[in-house]
Amino acid sequence: MATVTVPKRSALAEALAGARHAADTGHGVLSWIATVDHKRIGMLYGISAFLLFLVGGLEALLIRTQLIVPESGVLTSDQYNRLFTMHGVTMVFMVVMPLSAAFFNLLVPLMIGARDVAFPRLNAFSYWSFLGGAIFLNASFFTRDIFSGELGAPDAGWFGYAPLSLPDFTPGHGMDFYALGLQIMGLSSLAGGLNFAVTILNMRAPGMTLFRMPVFVWMTLVTSFLIIFAMPVIAVALFELTFDRLFNANFFNTEAGGNPILWQHMFWLFGHPEVYILILPAFGIISEILPTFSRKPLFGYPFVVFSGIAIGFMSWGVWVHHMYTTGLGTIANSAFGISTILIGVPTGIKIFNWMGTMFGGVIRLRVPMMFAIGAVATFTIGGLSGITHSMVPSDYQQQDSYYVVAHFHYVLFGGAIFALFGGIFYWAPKFTARMFNETLGHVQFWLMMIGFNLTFFPMHISGLLGMPRRIYTYSDGMGWDLWNLMSSIGAFTIAASILVFIANYVYTFVMKRGREAGDDPWDARTLEWSLPSPVPHYNFAEIPQVHSLDDFWHRKYREDAEGNVLPVVAGGAVEVAHGGDGGGHEEAGHGIHLPSPSYFPLIAALGLPVMATGLIYDYAIVPVGAALLVVGLYGWALEPATEED
Amino acid sequence: MPRGRNVGYSLTAWWGVDLHAAAISSLANVTQTLRVLRRNRARLPLLLVLLALLALVLSGCTTDTPQNTFDTKGEVADAQAKSFLIAMWPAIVIMIGVLGGIVLIALRWRERDPNQPPPKQVHGNTRLEIAWTIAPAVLLLAIGVPMVAQIADLGREPADDAYIINVVGQRYSWLFEYPEEIDSEGKPIQTVNEAHIPVGREVSFQLRSVDVIHSFWVPKLGGKRDVFPCNLVTPEPEAPPTPHGERPPCDGGQMNILWLKADEPGSFSGQCAEYCGLEHARMTMTIHADAQADFDAWVKEKLAGSSGGGN
Repeated sequence: MATVTVPKRSALAEALAGARHAADTGHGVLSWIATVDHKRIGMLYGISAFLLFLVGGLEALLIRTQLIVPESGVLTSDQYNRLFTMHGVTMVFMVVMPLSAAFFNLLVPLMIGARDVAFPRLNAFSYWSFLGGAIFLNASFFTRDIFSGELGAPDAGWFGYAPLSLPDFTPGHGMDFYALGLQIMGLSSLAGGLNFAVTILNMRAPGMTLFRMPVFVWMTLVTSFLIIFAMPVIAVALFELTFDRLFNANFFNTEAGGNPILWQHMFWLFGHPEVYILILPAFGIISEILPTFSRKPLFGYPFVVFSGIAIGFMSWGVWVHHMYTTGLGTIANSAFGISTILIGVPTGIKIFNWMGTMFGGVIRLRVPMMFAIGAVATFTIGGLSGITHSMVPSDYQQQDSYYVVAHFHYVLFGGAIFALFGGIFYWAPKFTARMFNETLGHVQFWLMMIGFNLTFFPMHISGLLGMPRRIYTYSDGMGWDLWNLMSSIGAFTIAASILVFIANYVYTFVMKRGREAGDDPWDARTLEWSLPSPVPHYNFAEIPQVHSLDDFWHRKYREDAEGNVLPVVAGGAVEVAHGGDGGGHEEAGHGIHLPSPSYFPLIAALGLPVMATGLIYDYAIVPVGAALLVVGLYGWALEPATEED
Repeated sequence: MPRGRNVGYSLTAWWGVDLHAAAISSLANVTQTLRVLRRNRARLPLLLVLLALLALVLSGCTTDTPQNTFDTKGEVADAQAKSFLIAMWPAIVIMIGVLGGIVLIALRWRERDPNQPPPKQVHGNTRLEIAWTIAPAVLLLAIGVPMVAQIADLGREPADDAYIINVVGQRYSWLFEYPEEIDSEGKPIQTVNEAHIPVGREVSFQLRSVDVIHSFWVPKLGGKRDVFPCNLVTPEPEAPPTPHGERPPCDGGQMNILWLKADEPGSFSGQCAEYCGLEHARMTMTIHADAQADFDAWVKEKLAGSSGGGN
């Protein structure tokens, strides 16, 4: 037969064509809605999170406008309270978490040499339920007469302390939306956490041992386990709150023997690991960017990995530092004070190793590097100010003051958002084949760096001058005017930097003026850069064989015993990079199996906000949502995982 | 145990005057600094901006504003400010070291030529790793020891002769009850949003709320303590003073006790520090610390006033 004589290569090409066809079923909107491709889901996460970042940023600008002068009347106290609640909820659950999820999705399979995540349809479900929860929660704004200035959003703070969060004190539906919306997004995160833990543990390419994984993958793994253990805690707390609010249960109602401090313990037992869920992915991104742009391997790789794991464990033993002033007593405060101080040790190890990575390198100060260095610097300030109020007696003054606001913005904006922007500039070329404009990137970085410090550094001082958080106004003569004015000017500077980013996006991708990227524009180290840009649907034509940490770098450069770099013979790198050398790894005859697109994750995810809406407004709607969920899950279970040939 | 005040230095002097003087003298030295750095003219504006910012920050912390946590007027606030400084000074030194190090490294080793070959590949150094694991741990434990001592110190029960005031937080005002000052009708003196306390005597504030969680905070006297809902077992209006060291029982919720002591007469501003709803920002109070004689006179007047009012 003729086919017998066809060389093996053509069988592979055929398999590739088949895979492309399967992944390409239907261009346009429908193919995105039904997608189970981790790269597309990653981009959906990224775009959604960025749009929500604009929403949360707008809320911040309104807050800063109100506080620009004492006794300002721009917002009513009711509007202010709802806006600061939604600012916190949005930035934590709808911006930093999904932006991190975007990077998990885009990068983890590529970095470990896999063709997709372990559970592609569960991945799609994670995204759609996140989006459903986010839209549901933001829809609460419109549940009152928004055009006459009545906002319907939650109004008991992102921390939702009981009994303030009970209907006696926060009537209306705002806090119902809070409890149910966070529940939906928590479910989404939980599914994502499980998915990535399984992916990383089970789907690594041959030779990709745990200690050959890029640090970003390690941090994703630690974050995934934190999510798996932390989300159930907040789920229980939110269910109790939901029962108190909707069904007159008495978990937190003091009058009926309930206990308000129970909420605080559960919220912060979730809430502190959550802080590391927000920051560890950023640490991973920094640990990828610094070596590439220093052209050196990460200094002390095992120490960076183990300190990340240590942070993961220790994050469970520090939650009471959010509650020093609740009167838990000297023993509890001492124990948690010490544990909080000591979590500075693994964090410090990371910072020192990042400095060690840059030390003696050939440092290219490109935009991703600027953001990564900026993140290390601002995070250091945030970490150190954290030490100052981990001192319990000192915290009695700083708790719930602007000092704390300054601290956690240095950590979560200075650390996480800066690193995430660095990641966007670093990896965008891989997925779009275009480079962001470098000049606009530097302009954005400096505007953001100046604006950020101008906004949040003065908050240290207003806090030490006794300004409490969450006050919608303050009177003249408290000595806070200047510092608030500075913060407000800084906030608008940050807004300007975001406009520059949007302009850069339009210039690069809409006007298509961005430079062509090529496959490896940064001379990078990890596997994803061995692939063509943009990455093909099937990721790896052949699953790579991994020989070392920073495998791709070692395909390009050899290293002698003293660590001096010798380039690999010309041409070798390119050939290896595309996996086309036929050097004995070829798995001819193995077709590439990519999961087929599916609508069922979306249908199942859609059921959740419908059920939640029903719980708030009319129980008759609940079965409709439940039916959607059940139909979605059944369809999901019964449809074949891959199209039949 | 001897307290911060007796150690022999004044905290406000340490934090305020000395640093302020240092800032002024460093500004006076600017001309000399300019001379030294004249070869680096490009960096001068940056230096000037930094110095101006430093002066601004220092001036911020030394101003006599109503809720300045460093303008301390009582031993609790003193100890807490000292606790902050114990952590702050090492933090500032480390911050300057790390930030300066990052900037210097980035400038010193930046790529000068696009064709520069990759540098020597250094993968790590175990001795360094051990050093920068142990050194911070030792430093942190070193500040942890005085911290635990201070926690125990501040967390003790109020002194036996502490003056008791019941504080009831309610949205959005503070009710103060003086259970030791009973008028002719058997009711304690009550005030709203303003309280008088005697100078030089520990005052035990027994904190409870009738609605949501509030937090009682008078920064110049000391840090905050949360005010939890607490249904008193004894019916309103008045529970008899409980013996020191025992908290009045709550039927649900909890009662917190915060002791503070004013070292000098004055009026100290405070406000609710736990978000409690619409007018959280307006839930303010003033604590007037009076010399004992003035305080006694105030009590007498109040007692006369309340019985005279026939309310």
